[in-house]
Amino acid sequence: MTPAPVSITCTDLTLRFPVYGVDAKSLKKAIARVTVGGALGRHAGITDVTALQGVNLQLKAGDRLGLIGHNGSGKTTLLRALSGAYEPDEGAIEVHGRIAALLDLSLGIDATATGYENIRLRGRIAGLSSKDIDGKMDEIAAFTGLGPFLAMPVKTYSAGMQARLAFAAATAVEADVLLMDEWIAVGDAEFQKLAHKRLLKLVERAGILVLATHEAPLLKLYCNKVMRLDGGVASEVLDIRRLDELLAR
Amino acid sequence: METATHMLRTGQRGTLFQLQMALRDLRTSFQRIGLAWSLATHDVGSRYRGSILGPFWITLSMGLMVLGIGFVYANLFHIALQTFLPYVALGIVFFGVMTGAINEGCDTFVQAAGMLSQTSLPMFTFVWRTMFRTLINLGHHLVIVVAVLAYYGYWRMAHPLLALVGIGLMLANASWASMLAGIASARFRDIPQIVVSVMQFAIFMTPVFWPADKFGAHRAVLDFNPFYHLLQAVRAPLLGQAVAPLSYIVLVTMAVVGWTFTFAIFARTRRRIVHYL
Repeated sequence: MTPAPVSITCTDLTLRFPVYGVDAKSLKKAIARVTVGGALGRHAGITDVTALQGVNLQLKAGDRLGLIGHNGSGKTTLLRALSGAYEPDEGAIEVHGRIAALLDLSLGIDATATGYENIRLRGRIAGLSSKDIDGKMDEIAAFTGLGPFLAMPVKTYSAGMQARLAFAAATAVEADVLLMDEWIAVGDAEFQKLAHKRLLKLVERAGILVLATHEAPLLKLYCNKVMRLDGGVASEVLDIRRLDELLAR
Repeated sequence: METATHMLRTGQRGTLFQLQMALRDLRTSFQRIGLAWSLATHDVGSRYRGSILGPFWITLSMGLMVLGIGFVYANLFHIALQTFLPYVALGIVFFGVMTGAINEGCDTFVQAAGMLSQTSLPMFTFVWRTMFRTLINLGHHLVIVVAVLAYYGYWRMAHPLLALVGIGLMLANASWASMLAGIASARFRDIPQIVVSVMQFAIFMTPVFWPADKFGAHRAVLDFNPFYHLLQAVRAPLLGQAVAPLSYIVLVTMAVVGWTFTFAIFARTRRRIVHYL
């Protein structure tokens, strides 16, 4: 069977969040609600937030989509939905290709474990076998530039060193679809340059990139398409050259 | 068919669909069972990092407790140490499997919040992680069990195969209880406190530290205690005693009913668990 070409398809994707407030997490209140028989309101404490509404999106290999929008407009939610963590309430998401979501650099970072152990853990979560990780270890270790510090617990690292480690481990995966939330600017200037080079390589290797960011220069650097989210409603996908037009809306 | 390179998520509803998705989650977790094991070994490793004995602190602290309780209660109950120490050792160690699985089960999903909110890892992976961690702890405790049984010569009359059946039944029950505690704790923050209290109550109500026959006329009450049956199925064979058929009936029924119930709850809440966290 030949694998289907890399693609992302969202059809009328709607995602609603139940937000469980403190009241909703209390068992006492939940029991009270049942026994009082809805006098307190059936959904007391649970607020439904529509995070994404009827999003249609079609991406194919070579597309690098930039997501823009205000805080809370649904960018991260869309990325999480594309990663498979959030399931749609209506509509569908279909992704062909290996997905790597680099949304939170601290994913799987255990501060009491050493740098090496953290690379291993992160790799296992990303779906690599222990053997794969052994094979990549030298390259990842070299990229972090942390040398002997890798054998020390991560809690002894400075923030910049932690960022280096996390970035190196997170970007060691091979993926067809790369989902990124803005966190590209990590470490010092020298490391930022290295990180940039590595990201470009990753983007080249990955078939599709979806990047959420507020920074126009980054968008112009990495993306060839752009989409704006406003209160969970998506604009059409435009060419990156029309970014200013989209920002002005 | 979902593969590593194809993901389809739809807003489809309905009981049948939810069950299918829950089953798929289970299947995927088995395909990636190595991940659960890696996470579990990492957990145990990091808990004892930097200590001299490492995970063997588990063995040592359990050993002390068994010896202490063994000596004190053997005197209180006027029972020979060679009868009572193996009894208590087995009781504490195997009741510990239940407490470990269920108490730590409360954290299963809460602890995994970060991973669950940005990957499509199966939920069951984290259930197996908790169970593997329990098994690793049991492995360290077994040193004590084997030592005590060997020292008092119980290995001659023990039925290890029957005990294995008992351990299997215990794990089958501990795992659904663990998962149910995990789902409930993610949704309601009161659950972990309740679970800890119930387990604490249970350890004193179950013949762990005290011999079942000291219960005298009220012994029949024990038949209503599920933990008693769980413990009997493992302990009795290792002490060379017979297990009442009732225990097996209770354990098998409990496993089937428990898993059916837990799986139904999981199928209903699966897509929401990530939002609970």
